[in-house]
Amino acid sequence: MAVAIKGNVVNANPTPGANFYQFTHNQNTGDDGLLVIQLTMSNVRSYTGCNYGGQSMTQLYTVNRGGLSQRMAFFYLENPPTGNNTLRVNFNNSVWNPISIHSRSFTGSGGIGNNVRVGGQSTPNNGSLTVADDSLIMATACSINAISTIQIPQGSNRSFATHNTNRQVGTGAISSDSGHNAGSISIRTTSTFGSVTNDRVEILGSSAPVVDTGGDFFMLM
Amino acid sequence: MYYIISKIELEGTDNLKYSDYGTTTDIEIVNQINEDYDSTLGAFLGENRTKIELGLVSVSTFFESTPFVYEARTQVDNVEGLEVLNITNLNEL
Repeated sequence: MAVAIKGNVVNANPTPGANFYQFTHNQNTGDDGLLVIQLTMSNVRSYTGCNYGGQSMTQLYTVNRGGLSQRMAFFYLENPPTGNNTLRVNFNNSVWNPISIHSRSFTGSGGIGNNVRVGGQSTPNNGSLTVADDSLIMATACSINAISTIQIPQGSNRSFATHNTNRQVGTGAISSDSGHNAGSISIRTTSTFGSVTNDRVEILGSSAPVVDTGGDFFMLM
Repeated sequence: MYYIISKIELEGTDNLKYSDYGTTTDIEIVNQINEDYDSTLGAFLGENRTKIELGLVSVSTFFESTPFVYEARTQVDNVEGLEVLNITNLNEL
């Protein structure tokens, strides 16, 4: 196994003002590509799908956080087209609240593994995710109050984008490049006060390479 | 890190249209663009969001006096291949 290679990132916090929002994302070139997008917006509207370069992305989850009046979602696409392509997020009606968008490319990925979603709990919100060897973990958090930290694993602060959707969102936090050993990994999210969510997704490393002994096989008769 | 400067216009009668206008790495330019947005379209949407969702107010009202606004709240780490302007001065907008 080998840890997936992190690629290009887009962080955006627009008010779509239409029943879709689209932007350009540059997917890195390389084998076993993966494109993911994390979304948070008001639960007044719903996500109806995402596509990239005209290809429909797979919905991993969409969850209504009623206490925060937010709807959070995660979509992904394996082996997406490379280079600059349009990533389009569709809604069931025009969205007039700001949306938090984080998209990230990978190469050398085995796709999406486990995921766990936990709604608002008093800060700190501690959880775990069981992962395979050489996996990365992506996490996002939402609160009424400012997001203070996202730790992957607990005790290791990871950088994240701060967005305002009329709630506070921390998105795009990801493990260090070295990834994790197989097992249960602790993830902590914190806010300055009150409750905070803790959603985490496993990004699998590439499959073990086929061992090539380099030798030809001859049978002598 | 690059910031995408989006040009926001009215699309049809009730929708917003975003287009990539330029990029910049100058945080002072980014802050000024976003302050201008917050005091214009951002303020209008903040005051009228619910009424717009209910169809009681149209965003076209805002654009009767302002043809477009800019916003710079998209960050990217790669602008290779993007055919947009590199903005180094607000006067280039």
